[in-house]
Amino acid sequence: MAGLTVEDLSIDIAGASVVDGVSFSVGGGEVMALVGESGCGKSLTAFALLGLLPDAAEVTQGHILLDGLDLASLSERELRRLRGSKLSIIFQEPTASLDPLATIGSQIAEAYRLHHKVSRREALAKARAMLVSVGIPDPDRRLTQYPFELSGGMCQRVMIAIALICGPDILIADEPTTALDVTIQAQILDLMKQLVAERGTGIVLITHDMGVVADIADRVAVMYAGRIAEIGPVDDIFAQPSHPYTALLLASVPRLDVSPKERLATIDGSVPSPERFGPGCRFNERCPLADGRCRIDTPPLLAHRPGHFSACWHADRVSEIARAAA
Amino acid sequence: MLRYAAGRLVQAAIAVLGVLTIVFIVMRFSGDPTLLLVPEGSTQEAVDALRKQLGFDRPVVIQYLDYLQSLGRFDFGISVVQRIPAIDIVASRVPYTVMLALGALAVALFVGLPAGIAMAVWRGGWLERCLSALALTGQSLPTFLSGMLLIIVFGVVLGWLPTSGAGDIRALILPSIALGALSMSTFARMARIAIIDELGKDYVRAARARGLSKAGAVERHVLRNAAIPVVTVAALEIGNLLAGAVIVETVFAWPGIGQLAIQSIQSRDFLVVQVIVLLISIVYVLTSLLADLVYALLDPRIRLAS
Repeated sequence: MAGLTVEDLSIDIAGASVVDGVSFSVGGGEVMALVGESGCGKSLTAFALLGLLPDAAEVTQGHILLDGLDLASLSERELRRLRGSKLSIIFQEPTASLDPLATIGSQIAEAYRLHHKVSRREALAKARAMLVSVGIPDPDRRLTQYPFELSGGMCQRVMIAIALICGPDILIADEPTTALDVTIQAQILDLMKQLVAERGTGIVLITHDMGVVADIADRVAVMYAGRIAEIGPVDDIFAQPSHPYTALLLASVPRLDVSPKERLATIDGSVPSPERFGPGCRFNERCPLADGRCRIDTPPLLAHRPGHFSACWHADRVSEIARAAA
Repeated sequence: MLRYAAGRLVQAAIAVLGVLTIVFIVMRFSGDPTLLLVPEGSTQEAVDALRKQLGFDRPVVIQYLDYLQSLGRFDFGISVVQRIPAIDIVASRVPYTVMLALGALAVALFVGLPAGIAMAVWRGGWLERCLSALALTGQSLPTFLSGMLLIIVFGVVLGWLPTSGAGDIRALILPSIALGALSMSTFARMARIAIIDELGKDYVRAARARGLSKAGAVERHVLRNAAIPVVTVAALEIGNLLAGAVIVETVFAWPGIGQLAIQSIQSRDFLVVQVIVLLISIVYVLTSLLADLVYALLDPRIRLAS
């Protein structure tokens, strides 16, 4: 099938299971959000998609299919040909993601020349056109500038230009707006929405921000401690969460229609470290609905409504949490 | 860029003036130089007469200005031993030391930098362990010991290379290795640390995500970024090579300024020593200046900010 499909992906670091059985897919023109707390494995999943995991991490099972092609079957050389051309990524820290000593133009052109046999001049012309399409004014001057001369928002636009210059099928956006001012965040999200619509690029959006998810995602996978807790269409999940973690996350988002004197809801406890993952549901220690079964048996991802899955033995009682929090 | 360069040039000039002043103070205040110049057993009258003739009886400030003025005319005085200008004595030895320093620098750069790069890129492998053992050896062996070991092994036992003197170009090999070993280790360690530091940065991951191989990312992005700290060390190492030449030249009987320094100190030829000290200090200042200019060429943040 077209697009990206992740099947049952598991990643270990030093024997600890940090990503466990993650499956999701994203098609052309679709935005799939992976949301969860720091350390829940969402960024590792992104690096695994590119085959750029840190040395200590290792994929222990599962498949990553890009347009039906299993990436695990490819050599490093073949993977390199995909990176930046079919599968691109933008990062959380746009300024740090650019080589401080190379011009903006040379870095965008490099991304193009790695995958196309063109002259430097042609690649720079392509880079200039790309700067225009990501909304950077005065592109001729920008091409000759260095990253330190640009703001964070501008650098993220440059990163997007680098990521999209070869017209990839899938763009992985790892917390693309976390390091930016709120107004710039909105601009970058708008830009991403526009690019998806124009080019039909599928986006895997990694974030911890439910607001960002609501803004641009079509579907969302909520991750907790390396597993998918719940996955489905954004509207459906926001309206009727079927996993206690999702319900509590949504309840902890600040709201304009609630008095500012009201205490913000929080989730008690913290994410266990991977060495301490026990049997059963990994959320059980913090879950108000947990019982004996949750501490022994791992709940499978089951469909509750069409396209909406959650991994909870008590999915039918999650609405109680939502009501109590409201 | 021009303003930056001009600023550094002014700083270098101030540093040179500081060096001249310190050399003057050390030479004049470490004792009356007249006593070094008269034959033993001279009368007080003879000493006083010579002191007056050399101008050492005048106020220190006048002597200092006079000293600066003669240096301005490139007049470094007459060697009290050989009775020819001190600058000529030193100048005749400079080419040998330059040859030796360049040889040692070549050893340090062409062995040290590739070793450092290899240690960083293949971190944790057997190659890194072998190379770090080499670097540790180069760093720990004092030059007088490594020099003698080299002479014994390659000169005496194997008989491949001359043991001393400056007769032919092959005689340069052993002293260059002995002198360059410490700098080689320093370059290897600095390059390794700088590259490991850069490899962990986000822009490397981003470069690989665009389709560059690890080697490609190192070649196109990491080396240039890692060069900045290495240039700092290189500048200091060039000065250290000149200073280190004092020992190596003595061990290998190499007729450079290091050997001359030892000879001049032993014969109390203080004007020659003064020229050598000035020369080494000025080389330090100039290499630092050169390093500052290279930074600006490498790093647009320095070039464009000023």
